Amino acid sequence: MANLRLRNNLRLMRFLSNEMTQAELGERLGVTRQTIAAIEAGKYSPTLETAFRLADIFQKPLEEIFQWDKESA
Amino acid sequence: MEENLSMPAKEQFAWVWLSTMLVTYAAYFTSVFTIGETTALTQIGLFAATTVVQVLVIGTVSAVIAVRHKGGPQSDERDQLIDQRATRAAYQLLICGMIVVGCLMPFNNSGWRIFHAAVFSIAVSEIVRHGLMVSMYRRGANG
Repeated sequence: MANLRLRNNLRLMRFLSNEMTQAELGERLGVTRQTIAAIEAGKYSPTLETAFRLADIFQKPLEEIFQWDKESA
Repeated sequence: MEENLSMPAKEQFAWVWLSTMLVTYAAYFTSVFTIGETTALTQIGLFAATTVVQVLVIGTVSAVIAVRHKGGPQSDERDQLIDQRATRAAYQLLICGMIVVGCLMPFNNSGWRIFHAAVFSIAVSEIVRHGLMVSMYRRGANG
């Protein structure tokens, strides 16, 4: 089931945001803490809306948070 | 991985449904096959008892889960995606079962056999649905 075609730097982004917790990020996004954990682990690809909201929260371009791995696609 | 310890509410619901369905329907069908031919009242009583146990267990545990997760999001986009995928797979099974029960069995079976086959079909589809949900929560819901 799990594939890693979409990689992300969510863990790094949280670290750079004063070590924001998964729970805090989940609360701001309106998703559960476990969903944030699943995104970070590459077990779930968020919707486009959630991805843009993540970019907005971290004030970074979308492609800096998510990268599409062409090689494994 | 700091906070991976607890499960989201929907995954807990799925575990409760799966375990309750497995235990109660296993007991139900074991009883049905053990008892064999019997009165309608016994058959109805057996089915009613199974249903009551399911409602009580699932209702009680679900209420506890809902209280524990009060305040946080009960379900999000990942829960909905997992639910949709599991339901779609279970629906195919249910339809196949219902075709057998409703279109084929009436020609060479009767009464309680058809009833039990229908219950079996529903039980299998529910178990598959919640089993798939649990699996997708554990292994991931991509692809």
